[in-house]
Amino acid sequence: MIVAGREGGADGVRIVLETEEAMLLSELADQVDSVLLLGGDDDPALGRLFPSAYPDDREAAHDFTRYTRDSLVDGKRQAAQSVRDATATERDAGLVEIELDQAQAWGWLTFLTDLRLILAERVGVTDPDEAEPADDERDDYLRAAYEWAGIVQGSMLEVLDPIGR
Amino acid sequence: MTSTLEQLDADLVTDEAVRPDLPWQTIVWDDPVNLMTYVTYVFRSYFGYPREEAERLMLQVHHEGRAVVASGNREAMERHVHAMHGYGLQATVSKAEP
Repeated sequence: MIVAGREGGADGVRIVLETEEAMLLSELADQVDSVLLLGGDDDPALGRLFPSAYPDDREAAHDFTRYTRDSLVDGKRQAAQSVRDATATERDAGLVEIELDQAQAWGWLTFLTDLRLILAERVGVTDPDEAEPADDERDDYLRAAYEWAGIVQGSMLEVLDPIGR
Repeated sequence: MTSTLEQLDADLVTDEAVRPDLPWQTIVWDDPVNLMTYVTYVFRSYFGYPREEAERLMLQVHHEGRAVVASGNREAMERHVHAMHGYGLQATVSKAEP
């Protein structure tokens, strides 16, 4: 994976992914879209994506959810779908090069956040300093994806918001 | 007329985001997932805070578990919390302590 500025100093970011990385990201984006589409209220990952705005006021919390949930789901699904489509590729297709302007880059940043929130719930990340040992292969895979998504996001931020600007 | 006492009170308010005439607050809570650089970038981009202020608020979230990132009327705070949830941050609306 390479994350760099765009040519000519244009706003945004340029991302180059290995085929396998692009396929992984596309698959993960598709899964995030599915969680957003199908996830029931009993899915704890959705609690991380849609926290209560009024933890001490059930009625106000309910009203807030009623007025905001649809647009939040729409925004998060659009972000996931744009990442899924931008990374769609086939095995042996070679490097995948992606140019994102500022607005598109925000879609990626928020998608990577949502992805990490979901993965963290699935593997039980509660504190970064107390990562529990993975107990099976699935957790290994999800934890690796969680770490990798963080590296992609961190690399994007180094380009989009360089320290000292 | 402004009494000395009132001036003292005003001086005690050191946090720009907290003002007694603005009774509702947007609070962002610490979570173990979001990158510090991401939270700072959201504060800079969405609220327009200068880098120094955005980093101060981010560090307050990180170390104290929460920070008041905006104050104002309830409707505006709900808009902010809606936006923060869009960014994937844990945010709540709260009535300011009198």
